Amino acid sequence: MNVAIETRDEFAVEVKGTVGFPFVDHPKFETRHVNVSYGDKQAIFDVGLDIGDKQIIAMIGPSGCGKSTYLRCLNRMNDTIPICRVSGEFKLDGEDIYADSQDPVLLRARVGMVFQKPNPFPKSIHDNVAYGARLHGLASNRSELDDIVEKSLTRAGLFKEVKDDLHRPGTGLSGGQQQRLCIARTIAVDPEVILMDEPTSALDPIATALIEELMTELSEKYSIAIVTHSMQQAARVSHRTAYFHLGKLVEVNDTNTVFTNPEHKLTENYITGRFG
Amino acid sequence: MEIGQHISQKYNEALETLRNQVLKMGGAVELQASNALKALLERDDELAELVATSDYKINKMEVEIDEECAQIIARRQPAAGDLRLLLATAKLVTDLERIGDEAEKIGRYAIKLAKKDTVMEMHAELSHLGELVLDMLHGSLDCFARMDADQAMNIVSEDDKIDKEFDALSRLLITHMMEDPRNIKNVLRVIWCARALERMGDHAQNICEYVIYLVKGKDVRHTSREQVRERYFAAEEKSK
Amino acid sequence: MKNTDIIRASLKRRYAKERRFRFYGFASIVVSVLFLLVLIVSISLKGYPAFQQTYIKVDITVDPVTLGISNTYDKNALFNANYAKLMRTSLQAMFPEVAGRKQKRALKQLVSRFAAYDLRDRVVDNPDLIGTRQSFWFVAKDDIDVFMKGGINRNLPESDRRIKDFQLEWIDQLERGGRLEKRFNRTFFTSGDSREPEQAGIKGALKGSVLTMLVTLLLSFPIGVAAAIYLEEFAPQNNRWVDIIEININNLAAVPSIVFGLLGLAVFISFFGVPRSAPLVGGLVLTLMTLPTIIIASRAAIKSVPPSIREAALAVGASKVQTTFHHVVPLAMPGILTGTIIGMAQALGETAPLLMIGMVAFVADIPQTITDPSTVLPVQIYLWSDSPERAFMERTSAAIMVLLAFLVIMNFIAVLLRKKFERRW
Repeated sequence: MNVAIETRDEFAVEVKGTVGFPFVDHPKFETRHVNVSYGDKQAIFDVGLDIGDKQIIAMIGPSGCGKSTYLRCLNRMNDTIPICRVSGEFKLDGEDIYADSQDPVLLRARVGMVFQKPNPFPKSIHDNVAYGARLHGLASNRSELDDIVEKSLTRAGLFKEVKDDLHRPGTGLSGGQQQRLCIARTIAVDPEVILMDEPTSALDPIATALIEELMTELSEKYSIAIVTHSMQQAARVSHRTAYFHLGKLVEVNDTNTVFTNPEHKLTENYITGRFG
Repeated sequence: MEIGQHISQKYNEALETLRNQVLKMGGAVELQASNALKALLERDDELAELVATSDYKINKMEVEIDEECAQIIARRQPAAGDLRLLLATAKLVTDLERIGDEAEKIGRYAIKLAKKDTVMEMHAELSHLGELVLDMLHGSLDCFARMDADQAMNIVSEDDKIDKEFDALSRLLITHMMEDPRNIKNVLRVIWCARALERMGDHAQNICEYVIYLVKGKDVRHTSREQVRERYFAAEEKSK
Repeated sequence: MKNTDIIRASLKRRYAKERRFRFYGFASIVVSVLFLLVLIVSISLKGYPAFQQTYIKVDITVDPVTLGISNTYDKNALFNANYAKLMRTSLQAMFPEVAGRKQKRALKQLVSRFAAYDLRDRVVDNPDLIGTRQSFWFVAKDDIDVFMKGGINRNLPESDRRIKDFQLEWIDQLERGGRLEKRFNRTFFTSGDSREPEQAGIKGALKGSVLTMLVTLLLSFPIGVAAAIYLEEFAPQNNRWVDIIEININNLAAVPSIVFGLLGLAVFISFFGVPRSAPLVGGLVLTLMTLPTIIIASRAAIKSVPPSIREAALAVGASKVQTTFHHVVPLAMPGILTGTIIGMAQALGETAPLLMIGMVAFVADIPQTITDPSTVLPVQIYLWSDSPERAFMERTSAAIMVLLAFLVIMNFIAVLLRKKFERRW
């Protein structure tokens, strides 16, 4: 009975070009012809993708498909890995971020990152959030700094829970609270783009739901790119979804399309759990 | 598109079971429909009685299949093709159940008409309409079984045939009613049977539309045939 | 359930093994503690008498004639008067029956040679004493002191003893007169080294050690930590030169300490002309010795800081230097401090290299700056242990006790500092 009547594309690893809409009008971040390799091993093959302004784009795909590597290119975190070689065009608001004249420190103040395992500094909650702001001189006196801390914690949905003692160590919070603290720390420097690398994979369902809700709120002000292993998470929070497969970008479409009627067979297979 | 080959064996089995249940229901409904027609045409009141009292089985199947769909959706969060399969199945069984209801109606009228001659005078036309409808029903279920959107499209295009037959039959029946007022009651019964048959045809077409949605991912309900062909099938032809 | 049976059979043996292992561990601890106790107890027993000093009360008529001065208010004259003679005559006054050259000399040696200077200081401070009759307590000679502490057995035949019978009589007489007393030995802590055991103290060596440690700490800590930070965070990885440097640093830790002494002698003293036997050159030599320890420990501490902290700091927009100094180094501090204290403790106890640079000399003065000649505690211990006088034996042990106390305090400070810096992540 299992007669395959429709085959849109060969069920093969050969991916010729990206289907869907990888590029958008007025993107926040434009990337073209991105190739990344670790020493001899190439991890990303000729990827072209736009990050939309004040939108959430989710990057999904099986393990080792290059989505985290791609994400880390966007704030030049791959610079810290000596054997990693990045080539291609990366334009944030039209400016090449890999140009010699560009300072990665400044870039990272505009493009923040939240990691998979919550990593608050071993300082107090207040100092955690204030660190970035203090570093970049965003507050001219103590009360302004406190203001920034309070606003960031509120926006991260954490203020109510910690406001009675902001000088507790950040590491004493629960996992979900710690991750929200890291998010507060990131938004305290008022970035334009927030990158999230599997932000809830280490958290329980309720903490996950809180953070997803937070993401939706944050997307009104920031452009967000998230890498996730959970397709349901991508389906819940993102506006656009990009599917990576073995270092190539297979399909990019708005999330509704990807999850009801994806264009590429590989995408369909991954989403329905047929492989990967 | 293939149902099977998920990584989860249980998921595969669940979908297989579901499909088999639908086909089984389809078979039962086909049987009801053909029996109803036979009972009407051959004035077999025992068969008619059987048809009229067997509808509960089909209703039961509808409930079971809907329940299955709900469970699979809850447990598997299906997406893309799997999601469309489940949505289409849920709608499909509704239409099948309605076909069963129409067959039951025909059965009940057939019981009454079995003792009269009325049917003999329009036997050929009724038979013709009935055949068309049964073919369409069979064809639509076949499309579902084979996930054949092209064939489904073809079937959908043939709905005017049924309309034409029904119109012809209606004219004939009106003539009969005008000829002899004593016929009116029974002729009305026949008209209602014909109507039931025409409705079965509509439902069979719905089933074909669901198959197109399932396979192509496009909802073609309430769209004219020309537009559907133009938009979705012509493009396929071009790209092949 | 075959597996369960197999496992159950093996359990008995496994538990027995565990019990044995725990016993060995416990036994090891007991043995170590025992050794430690034996060491501490034996040293304490030998050393504690040194904290007491025998004093003799002598009646002195401060007679200006004996002193040989006329003007009792001339400071200079007072200072240079003949106090030795005054002391002698006072003692003779106490024991009038003493005759004969030998006995008279022995009488003079009841009190320490420095007692005369002690007397001088009192008179100079208070000239009104002149013409009065006073009783002063003076430090007894080391033989008397040793005898009073039971170091000389009076039952031995006279030829086998240092204290002769006539001296015994004097001692008994003094005791009967309540003129012999044991007091806390402040001299031990207030004076420098001396040929006379009763006047010898560790203040010079202590201060020398402190100054040397200070120089070592101030030089080795910044250099060592900075080197470790550079090698771990900033040096290019897989670079041949960096690897060579690393290998050399690791090897330096194994070089015998006396080699550093030779180096110090040849380079610092001969070539650069740094004053010999000064805490400065001692500190320089010990710095060279301690650097590898500090570098290795600091590198390990820095390496153990989880990369997630670095990533978090970078992601917020900190530069590499800011990440290192705001986050990595504070987190690595406990390990760095531990390494430093270990290095310092080793350096504190080092004798061989310091001997090479001249600290073996007899230095009686207490060093004031890091360029004054000085000695350090371990060297002082070595020197005293070499001396023949009986009284130095107990002082050696007492000095060892002081050295150990010094080490304990240093470790204690280290533990406090560690606790202060310790964070949980």
